[in-house]
Amino acid sequence: MAGHTLIDAHLAALARRLPARAVDELADGLTETYARHLARGFDPTAAARAAIAEFGHPDQIITAFTRQAPGRRTALALLATGPGFAACWGPSLILGHAWTWPIPTPVALAFGLALLAVVAALVTAATSRHSYSRTQLAAPGAIGLVLLDTAVLAAVLLAAPTLVWPMALAIPASLARIGLTARTFPRLLAR
Amino acid sequence: MKAEAQALKGHLDVLLLATLRDGPRHGYAIKETLRDGSGGRFDLPTGTIYPALHRLERAGLITGTWSTVDGRRRRSYRLTTKGQRHLASERGNWRQFAAAVTALLEPTPWPATP
Repeated sequence: MAGHTLIDAHLAALARRLPARAVDELADGLTETYARHLARGFDPTAAARAAIAEFGHPDQIITAFTRQAPGRRTALALLATGPGFAACWGPSLILGHAWTWPIPTPVALAFGLALLAVVAALVTAATSRHSYSRTQLAAPGAIGLVLLDTAVLAAVLLAAPTLVWPMALAIPASLARIGLTARTFPRLLAR
Repeated sequence: MKAEAQALKGHLDVLLLATLRDGPRHGYAIKETLRDGSGGRFDLPTGTIYPALHRLERAGLITGTWSTVDGRRRRSYRLTTKGQRHLASERGNWRQFAAAVTALLEPTPWPATP
């Protein structure tokens, strides 16, 4: 790697907790910093120590990456809009007597459990402050949310005997969320 | 330096854009330009510059390209057209803000009495 064990150890600590692309960029920056200190006449160990001090502690760097992580921001946005969707779909399901729809109980239970898992994944990603890997839970959370939105739309189309007026808000809202969330997938899944 | 970091908060994005005004730079060069251009006042840990650059890139204000230098992968950034417009707009806003603050803070002479 960079040519000094202290620099290599610093990069290894970052590589354990950050995506490969970020580590490549950090490696270039740290190596450049080390080279500048060598050029100023420091011996290799002093140059490595000075470079690391200038570059920042791994915890500090990882916290900065975590704060800006696309997964964290996406999870925050999806959670922030969640109450609005509940306000649309709650009345839709109540007025549509969703409990009378011909949906097998295990399927309904699986839907509920999946919804809980999605919310848990998004909350974990959104509240992460020092763990970049936790923010990556936003990807399965977002994919799960799109699948759940699709499932509820399919249930309305296939199982609901009649449409009720709150669905005029809920259905377009879910379609918009599916489209907007799917647009974030490339960013969330990038390594 | 804590006070300086606090002062930088909220202005970092536009300052990073300003470091790219004269052409593409990589992360360490951006950090050096920020430090040297501010007379050493804004000397951030180099490693914390990168997430801010990534955020600006996601916002479409800068764009990054990979190259290979001395066997290492290097990502250099340049302003996009949107970034140039944003920088120009923020520069104008800053001048107005700074002029208003200066007008309030600087002591002004009392009007001369006949």
